[in-house]
Amino acid sequence: MAPPTSLSQAASAALATGGAASAKGPGRPGQLQDETLGVASVPSQWRGVRGIRGETKSCQTASIATAEASTQARSHAEAQVQTEAPVPVSMLPPSRLDTTRLAAFLQRVEAMVIRELNKNWQSHAFDGFEVNWMEQQQTVSCLHTLCYPPAQGQGLHVTSISWNTTGSVVACAYGRLDDGDWSTLKSFVCAWNLDRRGLNPRQPSAVVEVPSAALCLAFHPTQPSHLAGGLYSGEVLVWDMSHPEDPLLWRTGLTDDTHTDPVYQVVWLPEPRQSHRFQVLSVATDGKVLLWQGVGAGRLQLTEGFALVIQQLPRSTKLRKPPRGETEVGTTAVAFSSFDPSLFVLGTEGGFPVKCSLTAEEAALTRMPSSVPLRAPAQFTFSPHGGPIYSVSCSPFHRNLFLSAGTDGHVHLYSMLQAQPLISLQLSYKYLFAVRWSPVRPLVFAAASGEGDVQLFDLQKSSQKPTVSIKQTEDGSPVYCLEFNSQQTQLLAAGDAKGTVKVWQLSTEFTEQGPRETEDLDQLAAEVAT
Amino acid sequence: MAEVEETLKRLQTQKGVQGIILVNTEGIPIKSTMNNPTTTQHANLMHNFVLKARSTVHEIDPQNDLTFLQIHSKKNEIIVAPDKDYFLIAIQNPTK
Repeated sequence: MAPPTSLSQAASAALATGGAASAKGPGRPGQLQDETLGVASVPSQWRGVRGIRGETKSCQTASIATAEASTQARSHAEAQVQTEAPVPVSMLPPSRLDTTRLAAFLQRVEAMVIRELNKNWQSHAFDGFEVNWMEQQQTVSCLHTLCYPPAQGQGLHVTSISWNTTGSVVACAYGRLDDGDWSTLKSFVCAWNLDRRGLNPRQPSAVVEVPSAALCLAFHPTQPSHLAGGLYSGEVLVWDMSHPEDPLLWRTGLTDDTHTDPVYQVVWLPEPRQSHRFQVLSVATDGKVLLWQGVGAGRLQLTEGFALVIQQLPRSTKLRKPPRGETEVGTTAVAFSSFDPSLFVLGTEGGFPVKCSLTAEEAALTRMPSSVPLRAPAQFTFSPHGGPIYSVSCSPFHRNLFLSAGTDGHVHLYSMLQAQPLISLQLSYKYLFAVRWSPVRPLVFAAASGEGDVQLFDLQKSSQKPTVSIKQTEDGSPVYCLEFNSQQTQLLAAGDAKGTVKVWQLSTEFTEQGPRETEDLDQLAAEVAT
Repeated sequence: MAEVEETLKRLQTQKGVQGIILVNTEGIPIKSTMNNPTTTQHANLMHNFVLKARSTVHEIDPQNDLTFLQIHSKKNEIIVAPDKDYFLIAIQNPTK
């Protein structure tokens, strides 16, 4: 459509010139004048200016019907319940036996039973027959890699590991094993609950700050949350890990009785008279082995003590000539026999294990102050390693066998009956920091080496080289501690110098006992000893 | 009485036998060649097991009855000879 251009042009010209003579063309200049136009306004749409439109409404519940009533017990009776210790079912006294009927019964069944016993003895039906109740796992795999970043940031090592009595919590102690001075470095004890859902490997479920480097840990044998630890300062503390805001239960404090050297191992022992209560045994390089009992107000009190003095060691092996004066032998490791609860083996800085007994009576020739008389526990000395011993472990299957490992890189298998080791294996060219027997396989043990690997030995397969060697650290920094989990027997935890704890799942060959292993172990002990 | 002891001795000296336990119908051990805790443990556990086995046999066929029970495990064999008054339990380790 044709725009009415002529009309609009005329209109705009009229506006511009205020009605003055309209321009007919560019030739004639128009006059510009100020003109006030009407104001155009737009009402504000803004909510605030428009004002809030409101209406009031109300509602009310209908009235509630209530009624009052009361009850009262007319009569009551009190009753109490108390559990009693279970009375073991004892055998019937012989007078109540009906011997004629018994004799008749035995006559009836004897022949059949003897026949079946003989058949079993001669039968080859079950030779080589094995049943798998659990899923077979062929390889060793790393289940968890646990660490605590603030401790790693301080460059702390994992010095000790412990599993609790239910096998679901693993605790580790942070400290430094290469520091020679009295560092006032604050250190940590961390615990992870592996059965908890949403386990964060970098966040422990409980963290306890300790005033000095923690060097050893031991969980209570029956209380799942009580943990004992020994520090670089010589103190022994007991924590309750289920109370993270105030975990410290008992401590020895720094008294005359306390160790003057770092505590390298703590062990829980049943009390001699009340077997359901426990006390803590601590071993340190000042030569003292002390037994502590928790008394009220959070203090650990010394109940018994032993001191290992070099002059009082039995001369069953040739040791260096002792210097004049009483000298204590630094003790670095302890292991209790599973068969005789008063018998224990101490590993020493001199490299020789010492067999000791809690029932020893002889007084120790030492001038160390103590509120309880110190006794000399040593009964037998074994032939030494080439360097200090860092770990000993008594076999849970054979009463006379124990292992020791030390800085010479060798593991020695000793029998309690002779001073020379039965077997001596070189596992590493560096130090060996920990050795532990497997809780299920009588012939298997694990060792942690300074080369960064965990070596698993099966004496049934090969007595020369490890069956499995697990590489824990990539750069070869040492593995300082390891512990088997006695409840979940396929788990093995190991801690290293990088501050990580790795939980390894072992293959089934390490967790299931074969049919004849205890006999094989007995045979090994017997044949090598002769 | 001597006869009872003789029979037990004969049974105990069979090849591979680790222990013999005589249990009455209530599961209380009468005589045993093993130590007390092991005896009570075996007696209690095997008693329930034997009764269960017997009721199983009965349920399958009411005319049938349990005559002998043997458990073969990795480490040993447990043999039970049942009767109306007593059970005889023998534990054998049949390794050659």
